[in-house]
Amino acid sequence: MEIKYSEDLIHVLLQKSLYAEKVLYKCFYWYGGSFNVDIKDYSDVEFLVLLKPKEEVKEIQPIIDKIKRDLIDFKLREIVAKETQVLRELLVAKAFANFEEEDNDPSTDVSDPVGFNPLTLS
Amino acid sequence: MTELAEKKNRKFREPASYTSNSGYHLLPFRFFRLNVAREILVNEVGDFLIVNTGTAEKVIKRQITRDTNEELYADLVANFFISEERIPALIDVLSTRYRTKKAFLDNFTSLHIFVITLRCEHTCHYCQVSRVSEDKASFDMSMSHIDKGIELMMKSPNPHVTMEFQGGEALLAFDKIKYAVEKANMAAWENHKKITYVICTNLAPLTNEMLDYCLQNEILISTSLDGPEFIHNKNRHKKGNDSYQLALNGIKRCRETLGEDRVSALLTTSNLSLDYPEEIIQEYLHSGFNSIFLRPISPYGFAVYNEKKNKYETDRFLAFYKKALDKIIEINLNGTFFREDYATIILKKVLTPFPVGYVDLQSPAGMINNVIVFNYNGKIYASDEARMLAEMKDETFLLGDLENSNYSDVFYGEKAFQFSEAWANESLPGCSECAFQAYCGADPVLNHATQGDVYGYRPTSVFCQKNMEIIRYLFELMDNHPEIEKVFQTWIRN
Repeated sequence: MEIKYSEDLIHVLLQKSLYAEKVLYKCFYWYGGSFNVDIKDYSDVEFLVLLKPKEEVKEIQPIIDKIKRDLIDFKLREIVAKETQVLRELLVAKAFANFEEEDNDPSTDVSDPVGFNPLTLS
Repeated sequence: MTELAEKKNRKFREPASYTSNSGYHLLPFRFFRLNVAREILVNEVGDFLIVNTGTAEKVIKRQITRDTNEELYADLVANFFISEERIPALIDVLSTRYRTKKAFLDNFTSLHIFVITLRCEHTCHYCQVSRVSEDKASFDMSMSHIDKGIELMMKSPNPHVTMEFQGGEALLAFDKIKYAVEKANMAAWENHKKITYVICTNLAPLTNEMLDYCLQNEILISTSLDGPEFIHNKNRHKKGNDSYQLALNGIKRCRETLGEDRVSALLTTSNLSLDYPEEIIQEYLHSGFNSIFLRPISPYGFAVYNEKKNKYETDRFLAFYKKALDKIIEINLNGTFFREDYATIILKKVLTPFPVGYVDLQSPAGMINNVIVFNYNGKIYASDEARMLAEMKDETFLLGDLENSNYSDVFYGEKAFQFSEAWANESLPGCSECAFQAYCGADPVLNHATQGDVYGYRPTSVFCQKNMEIIRYLFELMDNHPEIEKVFQTWIRN
């Protein structure tokens, strides 16, 4: 990652091997309030993000620190989202499945700790 | 039988199986930095852990082990942030809890607002809707519209609906309220429904006859108290400059006739209020209330599409809110129970497994799902704010009218489907990965009013700015001051 500030423009050069396009959009979405954001497919191996401040920047270092921190956070969020997507869908599907159905029987045939099947009891 | 017992019993496993350290699977969760030192992890059902900054990264990179971080590891497993099995054994518990969090959807629309008249004897500077007029024919709801509104209300799947009379000043059309209550009582009996009646009023036109009627019909009174006399009268301009006295006298008479808990007051925050948080709280305390609802200034009508002004106004409100909240907490710590209602709504979502039926802070949004508005002229709107927009000539959230629309047109029509794409924060940009998603909501009407589209744009959203900071602040208070968490626990139990 390379961050430069020149001519009232913040240039952020990022390796495609490290940051997915999705991560960049999610991260720099939040900069849209204070900056005009432009995300470019710069080369085969890099993305270029240009941030033009909407108001005068008094101190650049805190912004650079925030960009670095946010990129890590959004990359981590992407890992969680990717790894847990199926489970999340399963969770929501289970939450709302068969909502209308009456279900008076035990939902599984797992026995109690003693080891007998409750469904065989009358 | 033996085979079944061997295969499927739930006997405890050998101790070794509970001490393995063979890695773990992530469960869906989100995280957010509360401040430089601390961050919060929130799972899909709103359970949270506040930990040192950098912990989320360690969890995600599998750098937490049972041996080196015994307590944290146990917390992460117990609170469904990680699992030692790919599909956690208790996924059904988790999914039931998810469904419980969304239980406010079970019965569909409950709150039915009847704008019984637009006439009012006040000229409040922030009110965009009311008319000072004697013209009942033009500004009161007609009997036939009341009938149709009740008919639609009876079609709601909800067995317990609320019929709320709003204005203008609702009591100026008390004859219409009586007609509506009589009709609705009969319809409720026929349809096996229970109705809670609420009149929203400034109490100025209140008579003993009205009070007796409210007592007989168990009607609740919701009034306005904007703070001390100089703020209330400035906000609520009226000939004679006596709005404050009339409100206080009205509250006293309501309490005497109807009972202490049958009258509540709402604060409307104005620019003037922002300089007087402590005075406003003292006013509520002295007036015998044990809670206050610190609502933000309504952006409807004067801050549309102005990002800079919106941010400034929200910053000012947040400073006011925090100062007021700190004062309220101090009052509680000194032994007097006094609750802030907006914080309580959020805290109930944070600290209990249950949903909160507050239409301005839920996902899917409260519009249509929990509230519908029948306007004085028969038009039907998706929320109270939607009809305010309509008074400013913006009919985006018009769903139909009482003359021609049936239940299906209004509640399941094309417009309702169109809005449904923007009413769940789970699928909105910026919200979908927000750690506070489970505690927050979506507000397409506010997004449209302040930003010009129903989806909204979170980096400049007043809704996002306000809620993110209030939720963050509540967590920070609980993390830094265990005694404040105890105060919050009393708020959610009372």
